[in-house]
Amino acid sequence: MTRSRPGGPALSRRRMLAGTAALLGGAFAAPALTGCTAAGAASGITNLSYWHLLSGGDGITMATLVAEVEKELGDLAVDQTVLAWGAPYYTKLAMAAAGGRAPDIAIMHASRVTGWAPGGLLDPWDLDLLAEFDITEDTFKPRIWEKGFTDGKLYSVALDSHPFIMFFNTEVADDAGVLASDGKLIETSTPDEFLDMALEMQKVTGQHGLSWGYLNDGAQLWRLFYTFYKQHGADMVLETGKPAQFDEDAAIESLEYMTKLVDGTVAAKNSDINNGIAEFAGGKSGLLFSGVWELRTMQDAGIPFDATTIPTLFGTPAVYADSHAFVLPHQSNPDETKRRAAYEFMSTLLKDSIEWAGAGHIPAYLPVIEDPAYDDLIPQAHYANAADLINYDPPAWFTGSGSDFQNYFLDAIQGVMLGGTTPEAGFSSFIARINTLLSKPNPVTV
Amino acid sequence: MTATAQNVLSDTGATARSSHPGKPRETLTGWGFIAPFGILFILFMLVPIFWGIYLSFTNQSLTGAGGDFIGVANYAEALGDPDMWRSMLNTVWFTILSTVPLVVIALALALLVNTGLPGQWLWRLSFFMPYLLASTVVSLIWVWLYNPQLGLFNAILGWFGVDPVTWLQDPDLAMLSVVVTTVWWTIGFNFLLYLAALQNIPDTQYEAASLDGAGPWRTLFSITIPQLGPTTAMVIVLQLLASLKVFDQIYQMTGGGPAGTTRSAIQYIFESGFTGFRFGYSSAISYIFFILIIIVSVIQFRITARRSA
Repeated sequence: MTRSRPGGPALSRRRMLAGTAALLGGAFAAPALTGCTAAGAASGITNLSYWHLLSGGDGITMATLVAEVEKELGDLAVDQTVLAWGAPYYTKLAMAAAGGRAPDIAIMHASRVTGWAPGGLLDPWDLDLLAEFDITEDTFKPRIWEKGFTDGKLYSVALDSHPFIMFFNTEVADDAGVLASDGKLIETSTPDEFLDMALEMQKVTGQHGLSWGYLNDGAQLWRLFYTFYKQHGADMVLETGKPAQFDEDAAIESLEYMTKLVDGTVAAKNSDINNGIAEFAGGKSGLLFSGVWELRTMQDAGIPFDATTIPTLFGTPAVYADSHAFVLPHQSNPDETKRRAAYEFMSTLLKDSIEWAGAGHIPAYLPVIEDPAYDDLIPQAHYANAADLINYDPPAWFTGSGSDFQNYFLDAIQGVMLGGTTPEAGFSSFIARINTLLSKPNPVTV
Repeated sequence: MTATAQNVLSDTGATARSSHPGKPRETLTGWGFIAPFGILFILFMLVPIFWGIYLSFTNQSLTGAGGDFIGVANYAEALGDPDMWRSMLNTVWFTILSTVPLVVIALALALLVNTGLPGQWLWRLSFFMPYLLASTVVSLIWVWLYNPQLGLFNAILGWFGVDPVTWLQDPDLAMLSVVVTTVWWTIGFNFLLYLAALQNIPDTQYEAASLDGAGPWRTLFSITIPQLGPTTAMVIVLQLLASLKVFDQIYQMTGGGPAGTTRSAIQYIFESGFTGFRFGYSSAISYIFFILIIIVSVIQFRITARRSA
């Protein structure tokens, strides 16, 4: 349908040259850049600039997917720009969007979109045009689809959900007598049952029962905390102009339990996540709390393992997760051809996203996970239920993956884990910090 | 030179070129030579400096929102912001902790090398080499050395039965650990300045001293250290300014933690502006920090001026 649309010639090269010239000549060459976007000879190739923060194994998988989509569509050339996860990526994307000369399409964490959309950094997706490319509400799990909406407009379309889950070493579990006959872990539904199971595994490995790490890592700390917190059925509401609303008992109980886990026997007293990953991959522990993105590492380690959602220890099934989601960063003068190409690119990529599941993530596009091929993916199929239970960060302009919010949590809570601070004092200093932020005007919109 | 040329131009008008051949052209050539620097200086120093002052009086957001003039509200907020004061104090604390060893140890190393140890080049190289490393490399190496589970330092302590220490995660130790890293990393530069100065002290003075029967300590305190005075003054100025600007290694090693105990002023400026979106506020903090640096510099100049007077 869009095959014969006029596009620019091989712009990427010219654009790169112009970019280099701009660098060399300071700001003087800048007008040359704008000259490129309007060019339109009849070679029929549309160039799409695409920014994302997927590096390592994820980056390789994404590059393969992009190449496949390019081949499938034939008339699309995608320039990928990969930037480092976290603040470096988000500051650059924000500035590009604030200047109105952003990439044609980009990936953001769904949890960050809430903060960005009201500030005009993102352009909304057109639901009718999405439907034309087979992307509709019923092709996503409700929690994931709804997360894309701000003020009634859809700003992000999820590629995946990547929950915080539990890996387990099947051999260790078997030796410890905690493997049920169906190959799954025995069910643990209270905090103590889980501790007992981990201790049984510790006896087998002689080192630790559980691997996890939190040193200098607000993300890991927050993911586990929020999993336990949400398992209490508790909520956290952060509204600018009001103090944070939260359930203190649930928070303290979650933190106390986390300190129990890092007692030096169940899990290492002071470990960063890399130690934890190395420990589990070396067979020195039976369990690992981490994100699904560690799947490849574990497969490469060659240990016998499986994965599952973190057991429900506090009554309510809940999983912490985030999604990589496609957004349209704000452009002052969007090129209609490119906009349409962005829709087509995303739709094709979503339909091919079974490959993305190979990296551990749960594809968000339902036709992919409903395909029988997905059930053959083990252990991915064993934690696919997480997609129904996921909880994103509490929405606020400062929350989300790679945000300062997680650093504030680290600042306040690391001392609790290390034993110098009480959970009560740690959590109240975290809330004090958050309340300060909430008391100031939201700088995204001002 | 510029003034003369201008006088000539205004005095003699259009005939200047013929009556004083070369002069205006020389001026033009002069301007031509400084133009590349001048343009960059204006674009990337002067314009941002004044633009920043303007921004600090607005509620400009990184997202493009805001931009309304709000008077001194940002400054008022900053002066009442405990996080800002904390980051300033952290910066000052880091500066004190790092400047003293970076001057004293650099001098000691230079003196040792200058005593005529065999293999001078090896000493020079090994003291200076860390300085050539990028901050990222240094941070990575030291984060591993400090690693509580697998790090070298805790392994050594382990041989003596000492429990693992969380070097970078303990609020009492984190800043000290960063300082140790910084000293190891940057000492080579001060060391080299001192070594060069030492080698410039005329041998005649030492000969005279030894003829008068001065021992090595007497020589050190009466000749070497006084002769190094100007170098010491320069090293201290450079070091103070470098330490006040600390950002890289802290950002990479602790991210400002634990509990904000290592967050430096520059990091707080970065966080409020770039990840917190508040450009106006962030500009205000940077001007407060700028004033702090000016105060430190003035005190420093006063002290050195008095000493040399």
